[in-house]
Amino acid sequence: MSIRSLILVVALGLPAVGLLAFGPRGRYGVPSDRTVVRYWEKWTGVEGQAMQRVVDRFNATVGAAQNVWVEYNAVSNIEQRTLIATAGGDPPDVAGLYDFIVPQYADQGALRPLDELARQAGVPIDAWKPIWLDICRYQGQLYALPSTPYTIALYYNRELFRQAGLDPNHPPETIAEFDEDVRRLTRSEPVTLPDGTQGQRIIQAGFTPSVAMLGWWPWVWPCFFDGHLWDGHECTLDTPAGRAAMHWLARVREAQGIEPMLAFEATAGAIESAQNPFLSGRIAMVFQGPWLSNWIAKYAPTLDYGVAPFPSVTPERRNAFASTDVFVMPAGGRHPREALLFLAYVSRQDVMEELCREHNKLSPFRVPGADFLARHPNPYIRVFEELAASPCAFGYPSMPMWLRVIDELKVLLNTVLAHPEQADTALNAAQQKVNEVVAEYEQMAAKRRGGAP
Amino acid sequence: MKQAHFGTTGGRALFSGLLWTAPWWLGFLLFLALPMGISLYISFCDYPLLQPPVYVGTANYQALTHDPVFHKVLLNTLVYAALAIPLGTIVAVLLAALLNQRVRGQGLFRTCIFVPTVVPLVGIALVWLWMLNPEYGLINGAVRLVGPVLDGANNAIALLTGHRLTWLGELAAGPKWLALPGWAMTALVLISLWGVGSPVVIYLAGLQEIPEELYEAAMLDGASAPRRFWHVTLPGLSPVILFNVIVGLIGTWQIFALPYVLMRGEQGPQRSTYFYTMYLYDNAFRYLKMGYASAMAWVQLFIILALTAAVFLASRRAVYYRGT
Repeated sequence: MSIRSLILVVALGLPAVGLLAFGPRGRYGVPSDRTVVRYWEKWTGVEGQAMQRVVDRFNATVGAAQNVWVEYNAVSNIEQRTLIATAGGDPPDVAGLYDFIVPQYADQGALRPLDELARQAGVPIDAWKPIWLDICRYQGQLYALPSTPYTIALYYNRELFRQAGLDPNHPPETIAEFDEDVRRLTRSEPVTLPDGTQGQRIIQAGFTPSVAMLGWWPWVWPCFFDGHLWDGHECTLDTPAGRAAMHWLARVREAQGIEPMLAFEATAGAIESAQNPFLSGRIAMVFQGPWLSNWIAKYAPTLDYGVAPFPSVTPERRNAFASTDVFVMPAGGRHPREALLFLAYVSRQDVMEELCREHNKLSPFRVPGADFLARHPNPYIRVFEELAASPCAFGYPSMPMWLRVIDELKVLLNTVLAHPEQADTALNAAQQKVNEVVAEYEQMAAKRRGGAP
Repeated sequence: MKQAHFGTTGGRALFSGLLWTAPWWLGFLLFLALPMGISLYISFCDYPLLQPPVYVGTANYQALTHDPVFHKVLLNTLVYAALAIPLGTIVAVLLAALLNQRVRGQGLFRTCIFVPTVVPLVGIALVWLWMLNPEYGLINGAVRLVGPVLDGANNAIALLTGHRLTWLGELAAGPKWLALPGWAMTALVLISLWGVGSPVVIYLAGLQEIPEELYEAAMLDGASAPRRFWHVTLPGLSPVILFNVIVGLIGTWQIFALPYVLMRGEQGPQRSTYFYTMYLYDNAFRYLKMGYASAMAWVQLFIILALTAAVFLASRRAVYYRGT
């Protein structure tokens, strides 16, 4: 071996040996007398660290007293991995999933029902706001516990309101007011189009429901027209409320300009950056959750903004979209009793609210602690909390075939935004497709149960 | 024919042969043949993964025939393959021919072409996401530099034909790459060229195999450089081109990560960047239709086999093997 090769081998080999000897390694500090509870979660970064602190405190207190050790594992694509592990008969004892996945997994018998277990373990489910329990139930049975809940509200740029001659202390309360504000907050400039004619280029949009530009819930709009997407058996898109919502989207889009808005939306940059269109002042109003204030604090600390309920067609109803990350216990987990001890600990108001505050989310409790509200990083947390308390708060439709339906609803929204004149046709097509999806699912479910479809 | 028993010398040889090759054939049986067999069975079942499979006969295959999303992803994948494979082949062969020239910095140029292929696909997708941003992106920045020239060409076309070409106008203005169906597909095809370094290396190796005497003979016959490329280089390289086309065919039919990251997990405008393997994955792990996904996987296998066979058949007269 030549000197050069030797130097190369040493230069490459030394760091490798160093990493092996002193690099990061798995946790070996599990006391021998403890029962290990495997907890899979999707959170990494700051959110993961906050949960790890909760786990560490549990292991040092309740866990130590009860001989239980919770092992926290941040897992990517957690729905798929939990699914495969459950199907393979070796699921984690606790998994942190999204609420919209619960009906699908519960319907397949993949989750342990929690009503009795949670009560026996002392989980304070009666102290929670009703919406969080509704979201965690499927066909009347509790399959999940809320971990970090949130509602979605209207963020508006007060400075842009002033510039447009609008009152920054009076965000829109009705759909009509909202439409007028969108019109006044949308600014464009003349530009030569690719076909040589003169057109407009949007430089500031009042609002857009585009998924690429912070409108992450493309199915939600009929609910602000007092509609419901799911009655337990049928997915109802083609209702007066659904049609009114599609016509509203089409109307707003046509007023703003179809092609200019498509061009504007195509420029969406990374959301978690200074290019976030709300932070950079390119969109005046967005439909977003409490976490947006984290990005504002980080990338646009001087932004003058306000938060208000999203307008409803019936303002006094105060429709509000609510959602939550959830804890579930997959069926087949080896240590249900120990897992419940952990869930009962996390569900204590002090522990839960500290976690929710660190995640910039809401408290699931009917009466949030004064400390929680006072120290919360989002200055408008009370608006979000009030929305969660609204009797017209709604969650994801509790459909076991939701992931198939939502893909059709995305196509519906994209069609309406690109071709507003086709709103009715697109709605009919989506209704037909969704009917097929539901019918197919129920037919197969009946077949599996051994009954008639 | 004499049978080999494990007690005899031949049998012992067979036993040791099987023993030493056990890592391969055991792996093949356990991790390929068995899962494939199970997948074939599941393709005739309704299997939501969390409950036992229920036999449904050919229902999954029949459902494929009238599933509009399946037809859409099939068409998208076909179009992508039809554009990406020929374009990638042409660019790779030309680059290999250039990199084969004995010039200063040859090693540097070769490295520059190959380096992008070792970058993880997710990283590539994120970088391209920025580069394709219609307003701030590098690509449209460069396109706008030649925008006036393209506009001029479009005006000339308008004078001659009476109407402007919309796509040329959009190109001159800087396309909304990932927001419009046609441009989104174009963007993906262009990005696929980023990975052209791998076939270039194989083409370079192929170029070394072409006998120098053939070029000398062609030069003596007065063949110009383009004619030498057409009549010597391309025939000499044809087995390698065939190999790369088949590898490319298999790769394009399995495209997943690039559009998935680029479109942020969405299906693209009007499902224009929704490809076969993405729909297969969604069926298996999002919709919990493992039987349907298995049927799709088998159809995909047969499509690839059929296309590969077609390429082989079509290449019979076009591929030149030395000594044949």
